[in-house]
Amino acid sequence: MMLLRLITWPYVRRHRLRTLLTTAGIVLGVAVFVGMRTANESVLLAFRQTIDRIAGKAELQVAAGEGGLPEDVLERVQAMPEVRAAVPVIEAAVGTNLASEGNVLVLAVDMTGDRSLRDYDLESGDEAVIDDPLVFLAQPDSLIVTREFAARNGLAIGSTVPMRTMEGEKRFTVRGIMKSGGLTQAFGGNLAVMDVYAAQMVFGRGRTFDRVDLALSEGVGLERGRLAIGARLGPGYQVEPPASRGRQIDSVLRVYSFTADMNSAFALFIGMFIIYNAFSIAVTERRREIGILRALGASRARIRALFLAESGIAGLAGSLAGLALGVLLSKGLALYISGLIAGVYGIAERTTEIATEPWLMAAGLLMGVATSLAAGWIPARNAARVDPIQALQKGRYQTLSAGENRVRRAAALALGGASLALLLFAKGWTVLFYAGYICAALALLLVSPTVSLWLTKALRPPLRRLRPVEGALAADSLIQAPRRTSATVTALMLSLSLVIAMGGVARAVYDSIMGWTRTTLNPDLFVTATQNLTERTFRFPESLGDQLEEVEGVEEIQRVRTHRIVYEGSPIMLVAVEAKSMGDRVRRPPVEGPGDMYERAARGEGVILSDNFARLRGLHAGGSIELDTPSGPRRVAVLGLVVDWTDQTGVVLIDRASYVRWWRDDTVNVFRVYVKNGARPQEVRQRIVERFAGAHRLFVLTNREVAAWIAGLTDQWMSLAYAQIAIAVFVAILGIVNTLTVSIIDRRRELGVLQAVGGTRGQVRRTVWMEALAIGTVGLALGLGVGAVTLNYVLEMSQRDVTGLALPYTFPWGTAALLVPLILASAFVAALWPAESAVRGSLVEALEYE
Amino acid sequence: MTRRIRVLSVMLPLALGLVQPRAAAAQSAREVMEESQKRGQAASQHYEGLLQVVDARGKISDKRWIFDRLGSHGRSRAVLTFMEPPEVRGVALLVVNHPDRASDQWMWTPAIQRERRIALQDRSTRFFGTDFSFEDLEERDTEQYDFRAIADEAIDGAACWKIEAKPRTGKSSQYTLSYVWVRKDNYAFQLVENYARGALARRLRYSRIENVQGIWAGRVLEMTDVRRNSRTVLTLDKLQYNLPMKEERFTLQALRRQ
Amino acid sequence: MITLSGVTKAFNGRRTVIALDRVDLSIGRGEMVSVVGASGSGKSTLLNLIGALDRPTSGWVEIDGRRLDGLRDDELTRVRRDTIGFIFQFFNLLPTLSCLENVALPLHLRGWARKKAADRARELLGLVRLGARADHLPDELSGGERQRVAIARALAIYPPILLADEPTGNLDSSTGDEILALVGDLHQRLQATVVIVTHDRHVAEICPRTITLRDGRIVGDERR
Repeated sequence: MMLLRLITWPYVRRHRLRTLLTTAGIVLGVAVFVGMRTANESVLLAFRQTIDRIAGKAELQVAAGEGGLPEDVLERVQAMPEVRAAVPVIEAAVGTNLASEGNVLVLAVDMTGDRSLRDYDLESGDEAVIDDPLVFLAQPDSLIVTREFAARNGLAIGSTVPMRTMEGEKRFTVRGIMKSGGLTQAFGGNLAVMDVYAAQMVFGRGRTFDRVDLALSEGVGLERGRLAIGARLGPGYQVEPPASRGRQIDSVLRVYSFTADMNSAFALFIGMFIIYNAFSIAVTERRREIGILRALGASRARIRALFLAESGIAGLAGSLAGLALGVLLSKGLALYISGLIAGVYGIAERTTEIATEPWLMAAGLLMGVATSLAAGWIPARNAARVDPIQALQKGRYQTLSAGENRVRRAAALALGGASLALLLFAKGWTVLFYAGYICAALALLLVSPTVSLWLTKALRPPLRRLRPVEGALAADSLIQAPRRTSATVTALMLSLSLVIAMGGVARAVYDSIMGWTRTTLNPDLFVTATQNLTERTFRFPESLGDQLEEVEGVEEIQRVRTHRIVYEGSPIMLVAVEAKSMGDRVRRPPVEGPGDMYERAARGEGVILSDNFARLRGLHAGGSIELDTPSGPRRVAVLGLVVDWTDQTGVVLIDRASYVRWWRDDTVNVFRVYVKNGARPQEVRQRIVERFAGAHRLFVLTNREVAAWIAGLTDQWMSLAYAQIAIAVFVAILGIVNTLTVSIIDRRRELGVLQAVGGTRGQVRRTVWMEALAIGTVGLALGLGVGAVTLNYVLEMSQRDVTGLALPYTFPWGTAALLVPLILASAFVAALWPAESAVRGSLVEALEYE
Repeated sequence: MTRRIRVLSVMLPLALGLVQPRAAAAQSAREVMEESQKRGQAASQHYEGLLQVVDARGKISDKRWIFDRLGSHGRSRAVLTFMEPPEVRGVALLVVNHPDRASDQWMWTPAIQRERRIALQDRSTRFFGTDFSFEDLEERDTEQYDFRAIADEAIDGAACWKIEAKPRTGKSSQYTLSYVWVRKDNYAFQLVENYARGALARRLRYSRIENVQGIWAGRVLEMTDVRRNSRTVLTLDKLQYNLPMKEERFTLQALRRQ
Repeated sequence: MITLSGVTKAFNGRRTVIALDRVDLSIGRGEMVSVVGASGSGKSTLLNLIGALDRPTSGWVEIDGRRLDGLRDDELTRVRRDTIGFIFQFFNLLPTLSCLENVALPLHLRGWARKKAADRARELLGLVRLGARADHLPDELSGGERQRVAIARALAIYPPILLADEPTGNLDSSTGDEILALVGDLHQRLQATVVIVTHDRHVAEICPRTITLRDGRIVGDERR
């Protein structure tokens, strides 16, 4: 402790900026980890709370996928002895047309009985909630809004709210305002309640409900009730606790979480290198000090403890700052993630609370400190090994451990061989695959110092040719301090390889989606009930298709019904299409399966699966799957696999005829319209709009608009990847600044001599710049190479365990081309300040500097 | 034949009105209740009701409905059609009473051309913002209750029997206990107090007790929700008994044609 | 050749230290002068000011007829580059460069062609009798050899002024004599103005003029 105060503290005070830069790595690493996790948790928590709030006291919910429940199911459920109360529910995400408000979740219930399950008001009598319950029920335009929503939009009882419905925009009348609390906090107040029977009409539900919420009779346990009700209803119905609805979000966020975790790991790893670097340098720099301490009787263990304590404290301070930053960061991230999952419910979750989980904070702290300690271990050991006699001799450098390099190279070679072998021979074995990945990563890490040294040596001649003095000095400075150089280069390499891997995945996903849009999603026009294609709140009657076919210029109509169902406990997307017609139009060979699979599907012989779904479940053409339908379980043959991006959780393509029969649902989400040869899509669109506008809520999108919309959606998903790329690049730059700053301090005397013997300031500056550019160049070379390897593993991992998507390996040349100037420019910018500090200082001091 | 009593019922005074005063010296509590029910017998009933809801803050809202009822109690059917305010005109409630089980109730909403069933589980909730509950619209069998004479008391100057009514099976009603004050002179109800879990929940007070076509009944009913501190006053106008009515009017199909 | 007028140098730390106090000094062309004094008497400060490595707090310095006050940092560098050669006590050779490269460094900094600079460096190494060690790194040389390399580097451009700060301070006495002989020899041959800072009387004695400093003032200026 005494040593810490006497020795470390003055040093830290003298090198404030450097200390800051050193801990910055840990700060960032912990911040990214905690931030991402917290944001994730917060959004999930908010979403679960929303589900809870909406569910109220409902213990179980009965649904039939998204197909809707016939009204008689309600009476059957209400009659069951296990059920105390059961109420019908329709939920719809509806656009409000109010400025500054997005969608609102309309929760449609039967107000005569719903109060047994939901609190619409926590404080006092019903008058405060609904002005007149009878008027509320009598008028189908009645709406109850939350106090928050009313306040935001200046609404009072009797005000009207415009909403987009099946019958076009309609004005609803506020007939009640919910007091704050419980339910009203769902979606930050963007929730409205209306009558369920009115909702059937307004949202085109026919005589169905979306689900039935129920409370169990006293003494009936949740699981017993669930099983009993499920058994009475039969297959095709899901009886689940409300919380299980969160699963859908979970699965949406899974891909995202995977990326986030990978990034946290990388950030910390890079942080570790920065710390290692800084401490190695500190040890070199304080060699004299250590020598004196040793000469005065400090033991090796004491010195090691001193440096380990330093790194521990740095880690702790960095982690604490990281936690704070992470929580801040999570607010922004939460906002972003909310946007991402908005598509699931149709409404953005307003995450007001940040869920700071104690275990997460503890984990972040532990990780930060552990990383820092691990990074400080080798420098501490080296510090302990300092020879006091040599250290006290001025002007002499102690060269440390040359044998270490040989051992490291040998280990790298062995690991590299192992990973290659595993890659070649262990394709099917997950454990071996990951072992291979770890081997490869370790081998690359171990070999990177050696390779970076080679590369630097190779760079010396061209640098010298460029500028004889500055070039040689810059290269030599890097060659002379391999540890310092390689740590930065490795950090840079890791960052860049991450960038390349993510860029590669992003590119591959983007290409795949665009390819699918081009070859499969190729109708000229899309007629939808909402402005985008994923919301399934509104549906068309089948008959509208016949009317559309009569429109001049229309050659063919495909009726599509997308419908989320549950397969083996997880949500997937059922897409009912007119298979024959689709087969004729699709211009993309199947991933698996015979050429006539669409015709066979049209004959009702089976279904076609998206390849990602099939891969994750281990399904192949020729196999079969069992689907729970409202008319009982159906085992159907798998005819083939195709690429389909309709939904990332997986897609089952079924012929419409089978769907209508089994699910007893003949509604349509989207009409795909092919126009006749020679007809102009724009004109056909105009005719459709003119003919149906007013009578139906209907949007006509051109192929180009849909493609643009999908591209936009894809970009939204990708933007997170890009944000993380930015973090990686930032960390890399941090590493360069750190190395250079330290390198300048290290070489103050050298740079002083340079000026004493006549070097101009410009020459000194250029030396520092060239050093930075050399680091950048070596880092780039290694980073792009390692990135190419990492990309392969990441694609493979994603395919195996995350998304199931088989993405082609394409090296992201565009990203790489962008990185070269970016990193070189960053290196240059990073060098500006160190270069200035090198020429600004006192020459006299520099020459005496030891 | 099962004898029925519409204890605690809105329709009760209307159906029970036709009760002649009789010397009842030492009747048991059950005999009093059965006599009261007998005197209210009528083949059909019609009235126009004015419903005034006074909330805790003293705000009054008015509604009007037309009430028609056909058939002997226990088997009767009733249709209640709202006429005012204009926003609710045409909204109707169909009640089909069954001798052996709880009634079926449907609400008809003309604006969406839809009926909705009022589920059994919801009968304890308030009847469209009034202080009556859906259950209070039902007819209940005297056999479902145990009666006990408590005291002789005068209410509003009229001598009454105070009788305790307890449902025999615990869960058939939201109320666990009721007190009924039956007038000694004409067997009409004067006051009903309903208790839920030991606390007074609703109080129904009858006034302007008049004889119409030989049936004695209160023409003004005031239901107080003690917990919410609000009350609803129902005034019966144009009360008539034994009008000719068609059975078909009291069906869902008839509501849809309306 | 070198003129100091009223030069004061103060260092502002926690308390101000006056290293040089109103020093007036003139050194003619071709003189060989030693500066002696106890530790902290201001000898090194004086040398740094003459060598344009530092600026006086007040007063002015003139080198080769040119006043240094008012020059920008880059102009000072140019003065250094074109008129002054330095010899340091700790040699200050760049450990990463070979002897040849170290000697050629000032030439490269002046933009000499590689070949020409190498030839000159080789010639200079010959002059200090280290022609055979041209490709060695400084670490591979003895102290005396290193100092000879440093001297060769200082002479690279045949500067009119040669400044040496304790050139023998880090060497044993016989090697020190050797170095001094070399400096004397070069002074003779190149007609350079030489200023040697030393606390070694023996070193001072071989110089025709000796200036003695005490507490930042000149207390003796003897010519023999």
